[in-house]
Amino acid sequence: MKKIALLSVLVLTVLLATQVKADAPYTTWTPGPGRRLYMTQDAYTPLTEVDLPISGAEDLFVAADGALYIADTGNKRVVKLESLAVSSAERLSVAAEYGKGVLVKPTGVFVDDRGIVYVADAGENAVFIFDKDGQLQKRFGRPTEPLFGKHREFLPRKLAVDVRRNVYVVSEGSVDGLALLNPDGHFIGYFGANTASMSLKMILQRLFLTAEQLDQLIKNEAASPSNVAIDNQSMLYTVTAGTLPRKSIRKFTIAGRNIFPDLLGSSSFRDIHISDDGLLVAVDGDGKVFEYDRHGTLLFTFNAKDTGEQRLGTLRNPTGIARYGDHIYVLDKDKNALVVYRTTAFADVVHQGVRLYMEGFYSEAKPYFEEVLNYNGSFIMAYQGLADAYFKEQNYRAALQTYRYAEDRSGYSQAFWELRNAVLQRVLGPFIIALVVLSVAQKGVAWGDRRYGWFAPLRARVRGWQRHKLVDDLVFMFRFIKKPADSFYYIKRNLRGSLAFALLVYLWVIVVRVLTLYVTAFPFSPYAYLSDIRVENEIVTVVVLLFLWNTANYLVSTISDGEGRVRDVVIGTAYSLFPYALFALPIALLSNVLTLNEIFLVSFSQDLMWAWTALMFFIMVKEVHNYSFAETVRTILLTFFTMAMIALTVYILYILFGQVFDFVLAIFQEVGLRG
Amino acid sequence: MKRILHGLLVCAWLLGWMMSPFSIHASVMGPPALFSVLHTPYSVLHTPFFIRPAGIPDSYELAAENATFQLYFDRSTLAFKVLDKRSGYVWHSNLDETEPGDRLNKTWKAFAQSGISLDYLDEKATPRRVSITNANPEMTVATIDQGFTAQVTFMDIGISVGVTVTLEAAGVRVDMPFAAIQETGAVRLSMIYVYPFFGATRADQVSGYMFIPDGCGSLIRFAAQTKAQTMFYGRYYGADLGMTGVRPFDPQVNPAYRISIPVTGMVHGEKQAAYIAIVEKGAAYGEIHAHPAGIITNFNFMYNAFIYNESYFQPTNRAGAGVTMIQPRTNAFDVVIHYRFLTGADGDYVGMARSYQQYLLEQGVLRPERHASSDIGIRLEFLGAEKEKVLFWQRPIPMTTVAQMQEILADLALPNPEVVIYGWQPLGAATMPPTKLKLERALGNMRDFHELGDSIAAQGGRLSLYLDPQAALRGESGYSRRYDLAMSIMRSVLQGVNRMRSTFYFNLDALTRRYAALSAQVTENLDAGLAVDGLGYMLYSDFRDGRFANREDAIRAYQSLLAEDGTAAFYRPNDYLWAYTVAYYDVPIADSGYIYTSETVPFVQIVLSGYIPLYGPALNFSSNVQDDLLRHADFGVYPSFFLTHQGTADILNTSSRWIYTSSYRQWGDEVKRAYTWLNRLLGPVRGHPIVARETLADGVMATRYANGKQIIVNYTAQPVRVQGVDIPPKDAILLDSPVSAYDSPTCNTAANESAYATTRLTTTRLLSEVTP
Repeated sequence: MKKIALLSVLVLTVLLATQVKADAPYTTWTPGPGRRLYMTQDAYTPLTEVDLPISGAEDLFVAADGALYIADTGNKRVVKLESLAVSSAERLSVAAEYGKGVLVKPTGVFVDDRGIVYVADAGENAVFIFDKDGQLQKRFGRPTEPLFGKHREFLPRKLAVDVRRNVYVVSEGSVDGLALLNPDGHFIGYFGANTASMSLKMILQRLFLTAEQLDQLIKNEAASPSNVAIDNQSMLYTVTAGTLPRKSIRKFTIAGRNIFPDLLGSSSFRDIHISDDGLLVAVDGDGKVFEYDRHGTLLFTFNAKDTGEQRLGTLRNPTGIARYGDHIYVLDKDKNALVVYRTTAFADVVHQGVRLYMEGFYSEAKPYFEEVLNYNGSFIMAYQGLADAYFKEQNYRAALQTYRYAEDRSGYSQAFWELRNAVLQRVLGPFIIALVVLSVAQKGVAWGDRRYGWFAPLRARVRGWQRHKLVDDLVFMFRFIKKPADSFYYIKRNLRGSLAFALLVYLWVIVVRVLTLYVTAFPFSPYAYLSDIRVENEIVTVVVLLFLWNTANYLVSTISDGEGRVRDVVIGTAYSLFPYALFALPIALLSNVLTLNEIFLVSFSQDLMWAWTALMFFIMVKEVHNYSFAETVRTILLTFFTMAMIALTVYILYILFGQVFDFVLAIFQEVGLRG
Repeated sequence: MKRILHGLLVCAWLLGWMMSPFSIHASVMGPPALFSVLHTPYSVLHTPFFIRPAGIPDSYELAAENATFQLYFDRSTLAFKVLDKRSGYVWHSNLDETEPGDRLNKTWKAFAQSGISLDYLDEKATPRRVSITNANPEMTVATIDQGFTAQVTFMDIGISVGVTVTLEAAGVRVDMPFAAIQETGAVRLSMIYVYPFFGATRADQVSGYMFIPDGCGSLIRFAAQTKAQTMFYGRYYGADLGMTGVRPFDPQVNPAYRISIPVTGMVHGEKQAAYIAIVEKGAAYGEIHAHPAGIITNFNFMYNAFIYNESYFQPTNRAGAGVTMIQPRTNAFDVVIHYRFLTGADGDYVGMARSYQQYLLEQGVLRPERHASSDIGIRLEFLGAEKEKVLFWQRPIPMTTVAQMQEILADLALPNPEVVIYGWQPLGAATMPPTKLKLERALGNMRDFHELGDSIAAQGGRLSLYLDPQAALRGESGYSRRYDLAMSIMRSVLQGVNRMRSTFYFNLDALTRRYAALSAQVTENLDAGLAVDGLGYMLYSDFRDGRFANREDAIRAYQSLLAEDGTAAFYRPNDYLWAYTVAYYDVPIADSGYIYTSETVPFVQIVLSGYIPLYGPALNFSSNVQDDLLRHADFGVYPSFFLTHQGTADILNTSSRWIYTSSYRQWGDEVKRAYTWLNRLLGPVRGHPIVARETLADGVMATRYANGKQIIVNYTAQPVRVQGVDIPPKDAILLDSPVSAYDSPTCNTAANESAYATTRLTTTRLLSEVTP
C-alpha cells in the first residue's frame, strides 16, 4: 500500500508543471526562540487554483489512492475527482458522483480503504453510507439507545471511520464529544469531550447575578468539536472553533484522553488532515494554514486570506484541507475551487528531518536538521531534533548547548545531569579529602586564636568600623535573625537603624532582584534569554510596590491608632526584607549546580525565604504600631486594600486626562478644518 | 514547413490590408469581417486624391499622415483611428458600433464611444461620470499640423478639458496640458479617462494579450471568460502616502509589487500587431485600469486614468471620528502619452519591451553599460552593525567588521563584486544615518573602509553604503520632527515600514540637504558610492503648509538632486531614476500572481538588458534557490546574497531579525556555486540587449541576445534535448547559435511534444482565421 502511494507521488511530480510563476501572497512563519513566530522561507508556494463544478462545498477528503472527495453541499451530492495519482492538479475533473437524489445537505465526507463513502447530511440529520458504485447501503438516523440521552439531538456534520468501521460523528452542539456508532449504527458512547473552562469573570457572575440574568448568558458548556480526522493508527484528532487557540487541536488516545500539548493554534479552525507520514495540516476560517508534526509542534503557518486583490494562493472561505504527496489542497467554499500549494525545497528538507525524527531516527534526522539551520538559524524545532540526536550519541556538551537553543528545560537538565555526574565521578574523592583537610585546618586556627589571640587585632579593627553608623546598622540586621520583636522596638525608640541604611537596603533588594534573574540557571528560570529580562520593568515594579506599601501602611496606621512614624515604617520595612536580601541570591546561585530532579531544593528554600519575609513583615507591623494580633491582621489587609485603591485611582485619573486631551484636540482640529 | 508558414503570413498580411476592420470585433479579421467589408458602403471615395481604407467610417476624417501611419479622427467623439501602412492594420481608440452580447449599459456605451470621459465629485464628494457622447459638451475642434486639437467643455458641471492628438514617427502622441483644464462650477474634477477603449477587443475574438507592468511583467490573455471579479487597478508608483498618511503594513502579507514603469500595451495576434502606451508626463497621478472580458462588459480593454482630486477622510479625534473632505487644490500636472505601434515579428511582449527601450534611448535615459569585463557582477550586502540594549545603554553588535568583509571577499575571489554595507553608521542599522560621514568604530576606521573600497575596485567591483534617504527612523534622534518631516493631507506625519523598521518620511528640503551632504562625503572621503533604498520606489506628496509639493514636484526634485550628485545603485527604481542608476537592486523576478494573469514575462529585464546591470533579491531568503537561479539565467539577472560573519543568533532580539539567515560560514559555498553557474551562462552576454524570447516547450525557455548567443533554460524535472544538446533537469545552457521553436523542435519528452503541438495549433488557428 505504502509503495503504491509512493509511486503515485512520483508520477504526480512528473506530471505537474514545474514552473512557479509568481511570488506567494503571504509570508511564512515558524516558531523560533522564545516561542515567538519568526519569518522564514516559504514552505508552500501557491501552484494553481482549480475551478470545479461545485457549489458551497463544505468538506474535502483525500483517499489513500489519491482520489479527492468533496461534499458538494449546494448541489446535494458528493463528488469524486480523478485520482491525483494519474491526473495533475491543474486538470482535475469530476470522475463520479454519489448520493444524487438522496442527500439533502451533505457537509461531511469520509471514504474508507474499500472505497465505501460515508456522508454526514445536515439536511436529513443522518449518516448515509454508499458503496463504491454509489449504491446507498445504510442510513443511520438518531440513535435510539437510552445511553445517547433522551433529549439529545443528533445533528451530524462531519465524520471519521476507524479500521473497525466504527463511525465517529461530529454532532453539532454536542457537549459530550463525538458520537461513536458501531458498523450497524448502534450508539456505543461518547468520545473525547472537550472540557469547559471557568474564568474569574464567570465565577464572579455566578456569585452575583440572579437566576434570570444567568439564563440570559451563554451557557458555559464545552464547545463541540468542529471537525475530525483519523490517522493510520486510528488516533483521532479534532479541531474546535471558538475555543482557546492553544487548545484548538486535540489528539485522543483510544481511551479518549487528549495527549496534545498546548499549541500555537487558532480559534476558528475549520478542517484538519493528518497524512500517513505524520504531518498535520489545518486551516481556519480566516484562511490561515497551519502545519504541525504528529506531536503538535507547529512547523509552519501562513496567512493566505484574500484581501480582495485576487492573487493566486489566497483563500476566501476555506472549508476543507488535505495533503497528498507534497501538495496541500484547500477547498474554498466561496470560490468553488481547490487552491493547490506545493512544498518548496526548504520545506522538503524540514519534512524529511521531521519524519525521521518522529519515527525515532534521531541520528538519521541530524543532517536534515543541520541543513534546515543553514536555511534559517532560528528554526527551533531543528535545535530540538539536533539536541536529541546529540544526547543519543552521548555528546552531552553539544546536547546541553543545543537544548539551550531549543529551550528544552528538561532536556537541558538531563544533559547537565550527565555532565555533572562525570565531573562528580572525577572530583568527588579529592573533594572529600580537601573538605577533611580544611575542617582540620579550621579547628587548628580556631584553637590558635583562642590560645594566642591571633585575630584580636582584626576584631578590634572591626569594632572600630562599627562606630560608623551604616556599618552598625548592617550588623544590627543580623540581630533580627534571633530577636526580631526586640529589634523592631529598638528602631521605634531611635536606638538603632537609620533612614540612610533603609534606603540602602531597598537598593540592595532591587539589585538582588535583578541579579537573581540573571544568575538563575536556565532550567529554573522563566526567561529563556537574558535579553528577555526587562530590567526597567523589574525595577519599577519593586520601587512602586515598596512605595505603595510604605505609604498605605502609614496611612492606615494613622487612622487605626498605630504608633509608628513614617521613619519607623520605612526602616522597619527595610529590615523586614532582610531574608530576601540575604538569601535570594545564594539560592539562585545554587540552582546552577542542580538539575530538575532536585528542584524541590530550590523551591523549598525559596518558599522558606518568602515565609520568613512575610513573618518579618507581620512582626514589624505589630511591633512598630504596637498592635494586638487581630489588629495587625486587620491593618495588613487594609494596607493591601489601600494599595489597590491608590493604583486604581491613578489609573482612572490617567484615563480621564487622556479623554480631556482628546476632547480638546478634537475641538481644535474641527475648528481648524471648518473655520 | 517554414516556407508554407511564411507564405500564409504574407497572405494574412495582404488580406489584413485589404479589409481593415471597421469595428473592434474584426481587429484580427475573421470571415464575418470579410463579409461586412464586401457589403458595406464604407469604401467610398472621400477626397479625389485619396482612397479611404476599408473599415474607417464616414464620420472619420484624415488628420495627418507620415511615412508609416495615417491618423483619422471623428469630430463628434474625438475618437481616432490609426492605419499602420506597414501591415494595413487599423488601430481604434473607440468602439464604433455595439453588438448584442456586449453587455454595455448606457454609461458604459458612452464611455466606450467617447475619447474622453471624466469623473467629478459633487458637493457630497460622491463620484459621478460623464462622457463626450452622453453629456453633450461644447466642443471646439481644429486640425493642426500632424493632428488635431480639441477643447471639451461640460457646461452643466463647469469643467473644461483640452486634448491634442498628433502623429509622430513611432505612433501617436496624446497631450492633455494642465493649463487647458478649467474648473468653474461647484463640482470638482476627480479623474480623466484617456481613450479608454484604445485597442479594445471582444472576448476571445482576437488572440492576443494585455501587458500589465506588475512585478517584472505580466500578461493577461484574451479569453471569453475570466477568473477576475474586479478589474486590475494599478496606481503608477504605488499609492500616494501624502493622501493616505499611513502605509498599511502586515508582516504576514507579501505585498503586491508597486508599478514601477508607466507602460501598458496589447498584442492583437502574436507576431502580428501590438502597441504600447508610454506615459511620458503625469504618471505620478496616473493609474492603469485593465478589464479582462467578462467582468462587467464583454470587452478586453485597458487605459490610463489620471487623478485630479480625491476625497479623503479627515479624522478629528484619536478615536477615529471625522469628516470626509475633498483635497483643497487640484493636482497640477500635464499629461503626455505616446502610443507606439509594432508590427510583424515585433508584435509581442519582447517587441513591446524593445520599443520602450528604444523610446528610453531616444529620451537619453539609457546609455550603454560601460563593461570592461565579460564576467557578471554579484551583489553582496553585508550587515555591518546592529544595536542591542544592555540594561540602560545601547551597544553595537558588530556582525561583519571591515576586516571580516576583506576576508570573505578574499575567500570568494569573485570578479565584479557589488558590495553594499548595511548598518555602517554608528550603532548600526537601527540608528539614523548621520549627515556627516561617521562610521561605526567597532567595524573599522575610515582608512579600513577606504582600503576595502580600493580592494573591491581592484576586483572590478564597487563599494556602496546603504542609505534610505527618505526614512526618518521612528524613535531615533538625528532629525527634527517639527521641521524635517513630510506631512499628509490629514496633517499627520507620514508613516511606513521599510526593512521591518517603522519610519517617518522626510520632506524634500531635509531629504535634499541630508542626501547631498552625505553623498558628497562618501564620494570624497571613501571613494565609494551609495546604495539607495526607498527613493527609487516611494513617491509621496507633502502637504505641509507653505511647502506643498506634489508627486511631480518630488520626481523633479529627486532628479535634480541626482543630476548634481551623480549616480548611485538603487533598490527597485521607478523609471524616472533610471538615468541615474548604475545598478538595479532587488529587481523583481516574478509578478504578484493575480489570478487572472496568464504568464510572467521579464519585461523590465528586456528593457534594461545591456544597459543597466540587474541584481535579483537576496537568494538567502529564497525557498527554492535552484528554481530562482533558473529564473536569473532566463531573465538575465545577476545574483545577490545577504551576508554576515557572525551567526544570525546574535541579532535575534534586534529589529534586524528579519535577516534570519546570512552567516558566511553557512552560505559561502552556495555563493560561489551560484556565481560560477550563472557566470558561465550570463558572462558571455553581458552588455548585450535581449532581442527575443520564446517558449520551446512547456517549461523550456530560450532567450536570445543581440550578439547571437542564446540561453536555454529547462525548468522541468526531466532532461530535454535542444539541437542535439542535452539540458539536464533544472539546468540551463548557453548556445552560440540561436534555435527557435519554429525551426528545430527536438525536445524529446512526451510533455514537451504535446506542448509543442499546442504551440503549433495556435499558430495554425490564427492563420486559418485570416484565410477566407
